[in-house]
Amino acid sequence: MAGTKPGHDEKQRQGRMLFNSYLFIFLFLPVTLAGYFICGRFGNLAAVIWLALASLVFYSASNWQFVALLLGSVAFNYFIGWLLIARKLPPRQRFAALTAGVAGDLLVLGIFKYAGFLAANLDAIFKTGITLDILLPVGISFYTFTQIAFLVDAYRGQVARYALPHYALFVTYFPHLIAGPILHHKDMVPQFERSETTRPNPHLILCGLMIFAIGLFKKTCLADGIQPLVSLAFGSGTPTFDQAWIGALAYTFQLYFDFSGYSDMAIGISLMFGIFLPLNFNSPYKAQSIIDFWRRWHMTLSQFLRDYLYIPLGGNRRGTVLRYVNLMITMALGGLWHGAAWTFVIWGVLHGLYLCINHAWNHFAPPVAPRFARVANLAAFMLTFLSVVVAWVFFRASTLSSAIYILSRMGDPSHVAFGRAEVVQGAFVACYAALAFLAPNTQTIMGYDHKARTVGGAAGAWPARPLFLYASAAVLALGILGIQQYSEFIYFRF
Amino acid sequence: MSRAANNIVRLLCTSVLIVAAAAALNFVVDPLQLLRPARFTPAMYSADSRMQDAGLIRSQPFDTVFMGTSLAIHFRQSDIDRLLGVRSLKLAMTGSDSREQNIVLEAALERHPRRVIWQVDDWIFRDAADSGPDLYLPSDLYLRNARGIAGYLLSGAMARESALLLARSIPSLQPVAARLGTGVVFKFLIPDVDDINALKPDFKVAEAYNANKALAAFRDITDPKRSLYLAERYNYDAMVRNFERDMVGLIAKHPDVQFDIYLPPYSILQWVAMRDYSPATLKIVYDFTAYFATRLAQLPNVRLYDFRSVKEVTHDLSNYGDVIHHSPAVDLKVLSWLAARDFLVDRSAPTASLDRLKAQVAAYRVEKAP
Repeated sequence: MAGTKPGHDEKQRQGRMLFNSYLFIFLFLPVTLAGYFICGRFGNLAAVIWLALASLVFYSASNWQFVALLLGSVAFNYFIGWLLIARKLPPRQRFAALTAGVAGDLLVLGIFKYAGFLAANLDAIFKTGITLDILLPVGISFYTFTQIAFLVDAYRGQVARYALPHYALFVTYFPHLIAGPILHHKDMVPQFERSETTRPNPHLILCGLMIFAIGLFKKTCLADGIQPLVSLAFGSGTPTFDQAWIGALAYTFQLYFDFSGYSDMAIGISLMFGIFLPLNFNSPYKAQSIIDFWRRWHMTLSQFLRDYLYIPLGGNRRGTVLRYVNLMITMALGGLWHGAAWTFVIWGVLHGLYLCINHAWNHFAPPVAPRFARVANLAAFMLTFLSVVVAWVFFRASTLSSAIYILSRMGDPSHVAFGRAEVVQGAFVACYAALAFLAPNTQTIMGYDHKARTVGGAAGAWPARPLFLYASAAVLALGILGIQQYSEFIYFRF
Repeated sequence: MSRAANNIVRLLCTSVLIVAAAAALNFVVDPLQLLRPARFTPAMYSADSRMQDAGLIRSQPFDTVFMGTSLAIHFRQSDIDRLLGVRSLKLAMTGSDSREQNIVLEAALERHPRRVIWQVDDWIFRDAADSGPDLYLPSDLYLRNARGIAGYLLSGAMARESALLLARSIPSLQPVAARLGTGVVFKFLIPDVDDINALKPDFKVAEAYNANKALAAFRDITDPKRSLYLAERYNYDAMVRNFERDMVGLIAKHPDVQFDIYLPPYSILQWVAMRDYSPATLKIVYDFTAYFATRLAQLPNVRLYDFRSVKEVTHDLSNYGDVIHHSPAVDLKVLSWLAARDFLVDRSAPTASLDRLKAQVAAYRVEKAP
């Protein structure tokens, strides 16, 4: 059916080495960490090669059939990058090399991610009878975008030549490989090249453990804990008004704690290796506008779309109308990046529309009088959150008609259950809301500063306080005790 | 050792201590009775049958297994025992698919029961939706492998249940435990195996099962916004493949076990909904059940019962809470039919009952809502 979201392969899921699995926590991570520092004694190159090999092992644990594709992609992009950086090609040939590189990347992504979707839509329109069921290589969207950015920067002359092992590690680095953050070569490769990185730094390892613990807790205790309520809206039943809202809000918070938990774990793991990853979340549900939301949600994707799609399209440099057109194109493609389904496209278009309205409001609306500022901020916060929740319904629903049905139940207060179960479930969701709206985020708690490459507050002293230390230990233990079998991260499917 | 290194050790040791304490609590209390029958605390059971069944299989005596979906979930073991003269263990799971049922039955058959009574819906053989069985079923618990046992002992949710069970066994803490055990946070609250997922004696049957509810459900599933669900994931080839793997494979592997398989009496509205709103799906179901009946007729240790065309039940909409789920009164009828071997499919004419159903479906006209 055209527009239906693709399913997942069962065997692929069962074999996957997740951050929230015993195999990863008790075996892979300690062995990789120990091997990295041991190899570091033999020089930076040995440590980098070890980490790249470990990353391939990590990837092959669930995607062995796509390891060759990943390596092929690395080799292809490194070669194109070499042509752009090391060879003195004339401008036309340089552009041809860039075009070939980007087209090659997009072709592979298109085949694996969008060919089935295209075939299904052609079948729906022209009754071709052709359907394609192609298994999606995990992480392909992330490593494709990472390398397109590298090629574009190489074309722009903004890249120094990298050694192949460092480049390969930049692409395959296991903390980010499956679900981001989307890394930038200028940020990562210099860190891989530093020899100090390969020597164990107890302070970074301690802080990395704490950040990992927070992320694991977010995933296994918070995101997995609220998951059952999501089916109230998105299951096969007929939700009432209150059930539909509880389900939609539950998904809103599940997605945030799931994805930001994953990002925290990635940052924490990487920090143990002495590598600072960029932040991906900054309390997005505290946003007071959609523009603000996109500065806080999946920040590395927003930056990528801005730098490599919106600005090359012309950004806001060609007048107001084209600015809005560019915004819509960027967000629609951003939606499609999440998956080959019309629901994702509509989600992206909806956010594009929100952004256009937001920019227009900023441009045309009168300024708020200072005495109404707090009320206005509260209203802006509520409207932003509500808009985001509505868009998430399209993001999560299996089909467009299903999304519209759920929204119709959310807009129909004549059917209300409001039994004891709904009251308890509502209170449960309220606790999650309080955490998302009021609690400090991980980087604030840990004093993580990606740009300054510091963590742990001034002089790195306060994570060593006994109370903080034992609280972190409890959070780590609860995170481990919360592990459920086969609870994968939502963003793995993108 | 530097201060930070010292703190790493302290953090890790504290975490290990907390995890070990939780694991020890789970090991001692063993809420599922997976490792041994309840000894230190009173036996309590959970309505989460996918998890609970793993413990029931290990802890309960039985010679007959009762498997199925939500259509079989409310049966009482005491009724099954009384009407069929067996010692039964109900392992039905709401919304389960054939893969899940296969895994649970495989584990149960290791205890060498004589008989399996299996309520079967055609849709359990569809390919799994967005998820494989392991997203729902803790299959490692049934396989009793290291991952399953580790997952059980290292489960924080189970440690919470263990703590409540322990509190229940300490007299001075019983009032507190009783107040906490409200079913919102804790799951192990059922003291009698017979009550697991059974309807309570004060359950208002007439309010839950009546023609108005059945017709309302019919209108809902035939609503243009919802009717796509009627066809969802129906694929003949996949259903045949899953049937052969999960049901035929299991039956052939256990020739000494008698399998009494029945197709439950859905309301006629279920079929009419497909007839009028998804005829292609109805054709798949007809074709699949024809294959299903013919194939099972070839297996000597199978008795197949087809209750789908028992008109006095399926056409009386007051028996239903929606288009498929029947009342407890029909539960008892099903058991009595099984006891009397009524509606047993003739091996020489395995599709005769399907032909009767087809004729009924073709002839039926939906009443207007009162």
